[in-house]
Amino acid sequence: MSLPNFRSEFYRTIAFSYRNFIITRRNFFTIFETLFWPLISLLSVGLMGSYLDLTEELLAFILIGAVSLSIMQLAQLDVTYVLLFDIWSKSIKYTLVSPASFFNMVAGSWMVGVLRGFLAFMILAISGNLLFGLNLMQLPLYGLILFLMGLFINAMLIGMSTCILLLLFGYRAEVAAWTLTAIIMLLCGIYYPVTVLPPEVRVVSYIIPATHFLEFFRSFYGFHPSMDYSLILGYGLNVLYLIIGSFIYIQAMKRARKTGTVLQFSE
Amino acid sequence: MIAARCSDVWMVYNSLFSENKLALRSINLEIEENQIYGLLGPNGAGKTTLISLMATLLTPARGEIEILGMDAKKHVKKIREKINITSGNPNLIWSLTPRENLRYYAFTYGINDKRIIDELIEFFELEEHQNVEFNRLSTGNKQKVTLARAFVNNPLLVFLDEPTKGLDPDIARRLRKKILDLQREKDITIVLTTHYMAEAEFLCDRIAFINDGEIVAEGDQNKLKNMLKMKDRIIIDAEGEIPLLDIDGIHYREKKGQRYTFFVDNSEQRLSDIVKEVSKFVKIKNIIVKEADLEDVFTELSK
Ligand SMILES: Nc1ncnc2c1ncn2[C@@H]1O[C@H](COP(=O)(O)OP(=O)(O)OP(=O)(O)O)[C@@H](O)[C@H]1O
Ligand SMILES: [Mg+2]
Repeated sequence: MSLPNFRSEFYRTIAFSYRNFIITRRNFFTIFETLFWPLISLLSVGLMGSYLDLTEELLAFILIGAVSLSIMQLAQLDVTYVLLFDIWSKSIKYTLVSPASFFNMVAGSWMVGVLRGFLAFMILAISGNLLFGLNLMQLPLYGLILFLMGLFINAMLIGMSTCILLLLFGYRAEVAAWTLTAIIMLLCGIYYPVTVLPPEVRVVSYIIPATHFLEFFRSFYGFHPSMDYSLILGYGLNVLYLIIGSFIYIQAMKRARKTGTVLQFSE
Repeated sequence: MIAARCSDVWMVYNSLFSENKLALRSINLEIEENQIYGLLGPNGAGKTTLISLMATLLTPARGEIEILGMDAKKHVKKIREKINITSGNPNLIWSLTPRENLRYYAFTYGINDKRIIDELIEFFELEEHQNVEFNRLSTGNKQKVTLARAFVNNPLLVFLDEPTKGLDPDIARRLRKKILDLQREKDITIVLTTHYMAEAEFLCDRIAFINDGEIVAEGDQNKLKNMLKMKDRIIIDAEGEIPLLDIDGIHYREKKGQRYTFFVDNSEQRLSDIVKEVSKFVKIKNIIVKEADLEDVFTELSK
């Protein structure tokens, strides 16, 4: 790619970071999303753990779950909203008629999500430590970064799925984002090891990347992963879904341009 | 050069829940560059559909579209870099200010150039409103920002779908002037739809009439009027009977009470002859001269 081309690609991606960043900053409820809910969840789970008199390891186990769920939910928001902002404003035409691609859109908005997710992680790490003596930095730095990145990419996939559903079914598909996180929460072992699930259900757990990242993270807290190569599996699945997701988006877009649904969101 | 060419273009809207809708049938069209080309036609005729097809928002069920010499199927991204579109419903991102909106959309074209945005804000007289959230602007200012947005990438071909819809006559006139200035200054091609005939008359070098998904007439304004044998009218209110006159250029006349309407080939040329002749017989109380306008053409073609 030549330099001018690279520069254009860069700005096309930054476009979506810029827009998400401004909208996020201007919206009061962002504070709730980024601070309030993650803290509430940490507190309620932590307090429940203290009440049940859990061992230090078990408390760490469920707190890690609570933290991971919070930051994944946060990081997914920006990608989920990237098309919704346009749909709400009835201006999707203008984003779609530009040369910006789905890649630009997802990557740009995701970066804001990562920033928010990381911010929330830091806040939760500090409060978890102060309130419940939880040490989220117990693993080497590279491990922590790989864990967070893995979760953030999984979050990006959730956002991408919503975008695809929006394109196929219109703005009603917004609920998809919440449904998907709820299903993931149930299946990837946020508050319990996936081994407690019936074997048939567990199969589904194993095809969710987040399952493996959680097992990887918890392995530093004395819990042996139920499958080997957690990181490789997690990232492998992430990449696989990224490819499948992009392919489906391109097909959905082709269809929307042929059938005219593209215009229905605009006016 | 040809800025846009459609060859045998058909468009069908497919729907899961209702009947498929044939919106355009066998459209053939050539739009020369550096002009303002008007698409006119009644509601639901297919104007927005045709514009969306040319702007790569839709793909046709059949037929070929060529934009700026490039095949619209193969070179979507390259075409998108050089064109832009705007619609009469002024909608941009609500919570962003005009300046932020322009900046965002310039980014989507890979452009980070403050000068372009400054120029557009100045050109559309938006300085005072540039930092107000879009949803708080008046309709007129919203429309200005939406129009300005269509120029953030210095396009060679711009599609304007009812750009002055819902504006008061004064703002509408000023925006029309701006559109004309922009086109002349930058030597670009503009394809525009409108329901205001005065707007089409003022702006368009050429016009295509669309009715029910088909192009029913195409040409410059004079050609359209001639083609439909639209006549100028000289209307005279008189006291008394006017006998049949033997004057060149009168096609026929109509009489309703005291009012005589002469349909002529050219009102300017024939007026004095007719007045001279008529006043020999009767006293003229009132004269109205009406040149055939696009409104007549529109009414005729929409039947
Ligand atoms: N997204 C869509 N899905 C299904 N049918 C559509 C869609 N958009 C337009 N149509 C139909 O296609 C036909 C042409 O519509 P189009 O919007 O192109 O007309 P138009 O000439 O722009 O009308 P107007 O002057 O009212 O804007 C109409 O019958 C309309 O109902
Ligand atoms: Mg229309």
